[in-house]
Amino acid sequence: MAQDSVDLSCDYQFWMQKLSVWDQASTLETQQDTCLHLTQFQEFLRKMYETLKDMNSNTIFERFPTIDQLLAKACWNPFILAYDESQKILIWCLCCLINKEPQNSRQSKLNSWIQGILSHILSALRFDKEVALFTQGLGYAPVDYYPGLLKNMVLSLASELRENHLHGFNTQRRMTPERLASLSRVCVPLITLPDVDPLVEALLVCHGHEPQEILQPEFFEAVNEAILLKKISLPMSAVVCLWLRHLPSLEKAMLHLFEKLISSERNCLRRIECFIKDSSLPQAACHPAIFRVVDEMFRCALLESDGAPEIIATIQVFTQCFVEALGKENKQLRFALKTYFPYTSPSLAVVLLQDPQDVPREHWLQTLKHISELLREAVEDQTHGSRGDPLESWFLFVHFGGWAEMVAEQLLRSAAEPPAALLWLLAFYYSPHDGRQQRAQTMMVCRGTLQAW
Amino acid sequence: MESLLQYLDRFSELLVVSRTTHVRTWDPLTVRRALQWARYLRHIYRRFGRHGPIRTTLERRLHSQWRQEGGFGRGPVPGLANFQALGHGDVLLSLRLLENQALGDAARHYLVQQLFPGPGVPDADETLQESLARLARCGSAVHMLRFNGCRKNLNLQEDSLMKTQAELLLERLQEVGKAEAEGPARFLSSLWERLPQNNFLKVIAVALLQPPLSPRPQEESEPSIHKTPGEGSQALVHWLLGNSEVFAAFCRALPAGILTLVTSRHPALSPVYLGLLTDWGQRLHYDLQKGIWVETESQDVPWEELHNRFQSLCQAPPPLKDKVLTALETCKAQDGDFEVPGLSIWTDLLLALRSGAFRKRQVLGLSPGLSSV
Repeated sequence: MAQDSVDLSCDYQFWMQKLSVWDQASTLETQQDTCLHLTQFQEFLRKMYETLKDMNSNTIFERFPTIDQLLAKACWNPFILAYDESQKILIWCLCCLINKEPQNSRQSKLNSWIQGILSHILSALRFDKEVALFTQGLGYAPVDYYPGLLKNMVLSLASELRENHLHGFNTQRRMTPERLASLSRVCVPLITLPDVDPLVEALLVCHGHEPQEILQPEFFEAVNEAILLKKISLPMSAVVCLWLRHLPSLEKAMLHLFEKLISSERNCLRRIECFIKDSSLPQAACHPAIFRVVDEMFRCALLESDGAPEIIATIQVFTQCFVEALGKENKQLRFALKTYFPYTSPSLAVVLLQDPQDVPREHWLQTLKHISELLREAVEDQTHGSRGDPLESWFLFVHFGGWAEMVAEQLLRSAAEPPAALLWLLAFYYSPHDGRQQRAQTMMVCRGTLQAW
Repeated sequence: MESLLQYLDRFSELLVVSRTTHVRTWDPLTVRRALQWARYLRHIYRRFGRHGPIRTTLERRLHSQWRQEGGFGRGPVPGLANFQALGHGDVLLSLRLLENQALGDAARHYLVQQLFPGPGVPDADETLQESLARLARCGSAVHMLRFNGCRKNLNLQEDSLMKTQAELLLERLQEVGKAEAEGPARFLSSLWERLPQNNFLKVIAVALLQPPLSPRPQEESEPSIHKTPGEGSQALVHWLLGNSEVFAAFCRALPAGILTLVTSRHPALSPVYLGLLTDWGQRLHYDLQKGIWVETESQDVPWEELHNRFQSLCQAPPPLKDKVLTALETCKAQDGDFEVPGLSIWTDLLLALRSGAFRKRQVLGLSPGLSSV
């Protein structure tokens, strides 16, 4: 408890300083810095509230003499007021300062002052005097029209962004990079406010005119965080744009998926499928650039874990979901297979991507032999300039659980002499690194076991 | 039903009082009762908002309250603005009380505890707390977007703030029209006298340009039962036609392009607009030395502006454009049908418009054939 209170006092000093520097967050630097610290400041406010709620007003001021200044400064920063629950917690803290029974005029004045600040936070920061007079003149209060005003502003900005790429040569009508960057910064605290969704979507999807990325990285991070925690719902096109424009977000999404899979205890295939579909990654992977990154991360995970079966299962389920999503894509907009699997021969890719269930039963054996031939060619033939590394071919084959399962099934089912091609495939699947001789040995052992059975 | 109406009356009174120093006498019990009534009416609104007869009865009661307060000639309605306000009457009341520094210590403390009970307090009315938090968040959002994102030099009708004010005006006019047949005209006249006129004129222009069906988003989207789109703008047109000095100010204050759009949209206004332009034109006289048309008095409309407006009108789509040209030709004929510049302003205007159109066709690469002017 004592340690906590020391920590709080340190934090208090830190935040007091920060707030003084930020002031009303009207410059680029103060805005960026505020955005970076929004989450931590909210945590600090929560801790403060937990401490303050059990104290009375006088004790609070003895412990934190400048608390009124700290809270007031926070109230003047629109980024803080706009973020998540910060405005609520700030209000709770202020309420703790009120004297239940003021003994003297100073305490009474303090109460009045707090009332004023609360009113200020809720008065929706009025600006134009003329506008205020007009709306009051009509008999409306801000609560009557602020949601409508926000909606109008958001829609106006969103449509301006959508039309931005049309103004090719008309530089007057174009949005300046500074304004775009500023807009993206301003959206950071607002991401979880549903009214602002159309603007977030428009920012993600808009094409700029500059060669480099204009939108602020903290914007992408904030959107990604909200997507992963399900605090915002955006259309798939916007999510794809996010992941294409900001690689760290895509990587984070993958890591988030891995964490979920690792942390949940017993993962049946159904649950894995649920998690994967939920992450929207298979759909996004229909875009080759995203697929390549995702695939690379799977490959790393597989190597790091030395081919752990859980990772293999995940890859297989993912590929299944991916192929399903690919099937639903508009045929005309589909990318060539080569873009997804650039190091594979097209014929092999085509065969593997088939759903085994779509192939008629009598052709299964033939198809498997074909797969085996193509793979063997890729692995053993190093003179054709393809990547002869057996691991590449193995990694490719591992994606397609349906075929791998079928090999075993066919071998166990058929009463006849097990075909060499299938034996090779089986041996390759379980030991990709074996040399030719070793593999031949394994195949022989396998054949022997099957015949004995 | 009668008791419900009484609640409505008392709550309206409460709202009025909450702004006055009378709250000094309020104790925590009064505050509690007030919030309870507000909550009750909010519940009524949510349950019966779509229920025709109950809603109509409540609306009629509100209208009769307004009439009792002197109708719409005097000032804004101090109590509940409309039926929708019942949906957030608790927010309205809370904010008015919070703004009122006359509130006593005990009452203030009680109020704040009720509004912001904190996390996880049992039996607390979380809806009110959430509504207030959302309002604060909304306000910051508007503030940040306005100062960091919005375009500065927008067309008037694209400006979100103008658009919102216009929507409010139209909604209010519709409401007032339901309460009293002659309500809108008196209401508009009282606004004209009370409010900053420049802003008001701009809002009127934007309101007249709004698309016909623009429902205001509510917390819960419910269909407004008595919706007849366009009533509000009809009332505006009617009022403008009946108040010539307002209309004259309107035409002077707003830019040519906007006025063209407005008159195209509302043909009833075009004869009056043209009439005004004609009057303005007749006040100019030709200065032989300088070779230009000049104002007789300093407040007259100068040549450039007159030309601008006619040019803009000539770019409007057919019914309006033809009317304008006919009017100009008529004036020219009445003046003596001169072809030589410097004798009749109408001749000169037509010449300027024609050559302007000719040059425009050249610039656009169109054939220099028969210009339609």
